Amino acid sequence: MITSSFPPVEPAPPGAVWPQTAVGIGVLLVGLFLAYGATSISSEAGYGGVGPNFLPWLSAIVLIVCGAWITWEARTGGFREMDAPTGAVETYWSGFVWVSAGLLLNASLITTIGFILSCTLCYVMAVQGLRRAAGQPVVNQPRTWLVDAVTGFLIAAPVFWMFTQFLAINLPGLTESGWF
Amino acid sequence: MDIFNALMAGFAAAITPANLLWCLVGCALGTAVGVLPGIGPAVAVAMLLPITGKVDVTASMIFFSGIYYGAMYGGSTTSILLNTPGETASMVTAMEGNKMAKSGRAGAALATAAIGSFVAGTIATVVVTLFAPFVAEFAVKLGPPEYFLLMLLAFTTVSAVLGKSTLRGMTALFIGLAAGCVGLDQISGQGRYTGNVPELLDGIEIVLVAVGLFAVAEVLYAVLFEGRVVEAQNKLSRVHMSSRDWKRSIPAWLRGTAIGTPFGCIPAGGTEIPTFLSYAVEKKLAKDKEAKAEFGTTGAIEGVAGPEAANNATVTAALIPLLTLGIPTSNTTAILLGAFQNYGIQPGPQLFTTSAALVWALIASLYIGNVMLLVLNLPMVGLWVKLLKIPKPQLYAGILIFATVGAYGMRQSAFDLYLLYGIGVLGVIMRRFDFPTAPVVVGMILGPLAEAQLRNAMSIGEGSAMVFVQRPMSIALVVVIVAVLALPRLMKRASERKMRALNA
Repeated sequence: MITSSFPPVEPAPPGAVWPQTAVGIGVLLVGLFLAYGATSISSEAGYGGVGPNFLPWLSAIVLIVCGAWITWEARTGGFREMDAPTGAVETYWSGFVWVSAGLLLNASLITTIGFILSCTLCYVMAVQGLRRAAGQPVVNQPRTWLVDAVTGFLIAAPVFWMFTQFLAINLPGLTESGWF
Repeated sequence: MDIFNALMAGFAAAITPANLLWCLVGCALGTAVGVLPGIGPAVAVAMLLPITGKVDVTASMIFFSGIYYGAMYGGSTTSILLNTPGETASMVTAMEGNKMAKSGRAGAALATAAIGSFVAGTIATVVVTLFAPFVAEFAVKLGPPEYFLLMLLAFTTVSAVLGKSTLRGMTALFIGLAAGCVGLDQISGQGRYTGNVPELLDGIEIVLVAVGLFAVAEVLYAVLFEGRVVEAQNKLSRVHMSSRDWKRSIPAWLRGTAIGTPFGCIPAGGTEIPTFLSYAVEKKLAKDKEAKAEFGTTGAIEGVAGPEAANNATVTAALIPLLTLGIPTSNTTAILLGAFQNYGIQPGPQLFTTSAALVWALIASLYIGNVMLLVLNLPMVGLWVKLLKIPKPQLYAGILIFATVGAYGMRQSAFDLYLLYGIGVLGVIMRRFDFPTAPVVVGMILGPLAEAQLRNAMSIGEGSAMVFVQRPMSIALVVVIVAVLALPRLMKRASERKMRALNA
């Protein structure tokens, strides 16, 4: 039933075998994890014969099969019928670290320093990463940092104000009583 | 007459100053997110889902619908001027429209796309108005077995038929189904995959998944792989169509609408097939030599007009399965379903009786929204094009602020922001390795509903799966599902055999 059993096999691009294998193993592990979790779900099926553990087991088994299949594809010529990914072949990890740090700091600080400052920090770090990825020469200039911080603040503050005041969405302010 | 009266009542509800304002803001925001790269209607609606806690249901649904079809108008602008289709729906527009823009006819391409979207959107809205109540009446007669099979059909098409690889589509679907399992089981009340994390008892919010998979993943992908990509923007010429352009566009709009509407009506999803089909039809029907020569070279206006109309007709008609059966067929409709659920409303056949005022106001707002969008997109196109000047680093970093609002605003949990990041990383992997994302979202939203229908159906059948083949409608659905799975493969095999025979 699955198309990938008989499409023409094109050789995987050099360097793609291991990442593709890792994806396959990842899916397989997710399936195994789901199966492990499903063992602790009651099989009390009641009248219909289908209990709360049916879908978890089904998902686990299908993902284990898919994971194994993906791994097999990766090891035997690469993923079938795959569009070439857009963008560069090389991965720009340093930019990724900047953006990730921004997002994770935002998650850990939002309740402490409030939405506006936390999002401003996230913005500044993300924009640094993206500027570096674009190869902009101005990244290390203090003025760029300042402009980015002000821009981030000027986006975050009205967003906070609009969502909390107009739409009554609870976002953490700088103080217990909120920003205003 | 009943329909007419109901529609008039819908207009009365939609034409209040507040609702008109929500519609206008929705359309403008939709156009903006359609134009901007990195953010689509699904993300925009998902990020704004927390407003369902405050804004009344009619206003928010009008607002979300405005974003939904506004993004289709905006998407074509970017495709034509930048050749970077935001989603698969605009791929065909990008093909011919960009060629027209390159040969100095961007204005005509934008005009035919906007007017075609208006024509198709309006005709499809008429179809929704006339047929949705009948489908709802019919759908009342469907039982859990038929509902389960309809959902199975949606799963099948979204994962196994629309994508390139069934294997990766299935993987994505089952990741979505597994994510939908997290939380309390809705029938037995038992916790599943909660790992003693209190936040997980409520399940994973769809906002998190949509915003993580689309917005955060887009930003992470851009920084990892697209930092040095430079896009050349075509020059915007005067938005104007000559009499010859009109003559060539009108039949293409109508044909596109005729192709797109039925595709939207069926709970199978996807705009790829109708848009590509419309393109193929226009290419085949091009009569005079000049038009024929324009296809693929300087850009033929029919190649923009037809697919754009087909796209909008499909998107509008997709509201029929959403409103009458409760079956979403795309990312955005899946999130719209989530918005309904936030109000405790389950779209389905009963919606037309239990929430008639809401449904008809929503349908009336489609007519109003289409007119608004025509005005927003024709004379004001220059304004939207200016959005393309926002530098990417600042744009993408700004998107993260809005992503935080959507993810944190839903239940005020910092845990969700960590989860958001994790889902974003998953989205990057999926995009890099060509896994479709729509099956994840559809699987996650529709999974729990399908599971409930399956368990109800099995209870009706006293534990026997024969319940799925005991009524004519369910048998028909089983046949359709098998055909949807088997036919494309058989046809492919046949064509491969033919090719081999020719080569031999």
